[in-house]
Amino acid sequence: MAGVGGGNDFQWCFSQVKGAIDEDVAEADIISTVEFNYSGELLATGDKGGRVVIFQREQESKNRSLSRGEYNVYSTFQSHEPEFDYLKSLEIEEKINKIRWLPQQNAAHFLLSTNDKTIKLWKISERDKRAEGYNLKDEDGRLRDPFRITSLRVPVLMPMDLMVEASPRRIFANAHTYHINSISVNSDYQTYLSADDLRINLWHLEITDRSFNIVDIKPANMEELTEVITAAECHPHQCNVFVYSSSKGTIRLCDMRAAALCDRHSKFFEEPEDPSSRSFFSEIISSISDVKFSHSGRYMMTRDYLSVKVWDLNMENRPVETYQVHEYLRSKLCSLYENDCIFDKFECCWNGSDSAIMTGSYNNFFRMFDRNTRRDITLEASRENSKPRAMLKPRKVCTGGKRKKDEISVDSLDFNKKILHTAWHPKENVIAVAATNNLYIFQDKMN
Amino acid sequence: MVAKGQKRKIHGDYEIGGSVWASQLQSVLDISMDKFHHDQALVEPSLLRSVLINNTLRQVQFEVESLSVVGNPKSQTYTELQLESDFSRGSPLMGHNTHTDEDFMAWSSEDEFSLSSAISAILKDLDAVIEIGGPGPCVSQRAPLGSIENVTRDGKFTQSGLRTERTSDIISSSSKIDTMYPSGLQDVALDKLLLDIDTTVFEPEVNFLQGFSVTADELVKCLPSMSKSSSLDSPSSSICHGQATWEIHEIEHVMDILMRTCPQS
Repeated sequence: MAGVGGGNDFQWCFSQVKGAIDEDVAEADIISTVEFNYSGELLATGDKGGRVVIFQREQESKNRSLSRGEYNVYSTFQSHEPEFDYLKSLEIEEKINKIRWLPQQNAAHFLLSTNDKTIKLWKISERDKRAEGYNLKDEDGRLRDPFRITSLRVPVLMPMDLMVEASPRRIFANAHTYHINSISVNSDYQTYLSADDLRINLWHLEITDRSFNIVDIKPANMEELTEVITAAECHPHQCNVFVYSSSKGTIRLCDMRAAALCDRHSKFFEEPEDPSSRSFFSEIISSISDVKFSHSGRYMMTRDYLSVKVWDLNMENRPVETYQVHEYLRSKLCSLYENDCIFDKFECCWNGSDSAIMTGSYNNFFRMFDRNTRRDITLEASRENSKPRAMLKPRKVCTGGKRKKDEISVDSLDFNKKILHTAWHPKENVIAVAATNNLYIFQDKMN
Repeated sequence: MVAKGQKRKIHGDYEIGGSVWASQLQSVLDISMDKFHHDQALVEPSLLRSVLINNTLRQVQFEVESLSVVGNPKSQTYTELQLESDFSRGSPLMGHNTHTDEDFMAWSSEDEFSLSSAISAILKDLDAVIEIGGPGPCVSQRAPLGSIENVTRDGKFTQSGLRTERTSDIISSSSKIDTMYPSGLQDVALDKLLLDIDTTVFEPEVNFLQGFSVTADELVKCLPSMSKSSSLDSPSSSICHGQATWEIHEIEHVMDILMRTCPQS
């Protein structure tokens, strides 16, 4: 059966799975963000315990031409620690909300990671030499008594085992009262934005003690608050343009050239509500959980609870494409409201050529949509299908009537197994899918 | 057109004011109030979640108000409804949904005020909890470039002027709560507020430590970025020994001051 994402002869195969197999999942191990770097060589994950794990793709072997290089652990470090806000008597979670890579400009790699309040710029570099013979400190690092130094020597570089070290180069703190939900690196590679529920700040990567507030939707009277910011992203090519989405299903595109403060949007994207499908939950399910520009910069994609929509930036009144992710849940909204699943924030992503999009669902299902052929496919991230190069079988949810052999009924779905975070390699058909505490990597297999 | 997945009933049932609709309304209200009370117990509820629940409650309130305004008398008794799986919540709710006509109207008139109060209380509580701290000193104010269009804005801008000083924040937000809280909730809100406020917050060193951990190691890590001397590409060990020693001494000096002024526990 033809798959999605590359052409007619296309199948998704299992490649790798990372993470513990135990049924008991430690809260700290739950993956909270997944991101490929610009080349796809590195894959970063963040978890609820504040850790970042970076995988590096091994060089492709000539002998194994049918499969691409595997991803192995490259670096692991503790990005954020739990903190305590003494003023408000609140604990600040160490959970990594987002990771965004910076384009590589030299041998080192840089990424931004953020929790609810603080953004950090990390440098990941390789070290295969070390300097020995310092004047002011001993070989073990202890400071030497300056009065006992009677002669000077020049430190020499000695080879050592390859070590990958991660060091925090910048800490951008104290700029967000509310919880940070997005960070996005600007195409000028000098600035980036961070967004919380009510405000968006613009930072310079070199400057940590100040940021510009560019959007503020906090009303003077909090009683009037009916809408919050849910996601924000910089345009991939136009460094003056960014978008932010709201809990009411709207997207605002702002141009920083128009004003220093972008409270007034340049474009306002909203689809008129279908009155026939209105319910008590209409607003909740219209809340946008993720917004992503296409690589071309011409389109953007939004994810709400039940669907993914592709918008042409030149058309504000409706999306150009709408894909239903799990429409069978529409009749279950009350239950999903009761068990809080309706508040789950699913992410979405484009493939490298913008011809396909992917997003997650429940029961460890994830969905892919081919924009050209309009075909869609549902796949499952499961240990049962984890044999090397095993082809993934399409899954189907039975919505009523007689259930066929390989189908699963809506009532049998496991709502605790949700795929919120997915990533697509920027150039190849390799995808990373985070299923709770496991990271699955799938790739294509050309027939 | 009825919601997908719902079995078609007699036409009148799903009309606004119909029995199915009323049952759904009750379910949504119950669940929303449960969540509201649950979130009240949390120290810092999610703002997105609170706003969505509040908006849902507002919608319920609006529906109830429109029902009472239209004067839609319910001549039928709301017996246990054999709802389809779309709005089924199990037997406890089925029992709970048994209302007489008078009960329903009585509910709507008595609880309307409490619903409004609940919604107001949610948002005011959030404001009180969140705004006590305010953003840190590194957030620039609303006129970062001093351009003219920033000056003529409305009162939203004046609020930001309060955020540079923590102590004035606390005073202003507590006075705001005094004037804004409904009388029935004021005592409760003030108690909660006072519990949240530590008297040491008025001392400057707490402001200094806001958002930072107190260990010297953490301060040292922050220093390279504040010094503006290190560039993006410099290796992590670029701080010269002399500067590190000086900075360690400075940190110790600062810590001494803090320890002297901070009462020993």
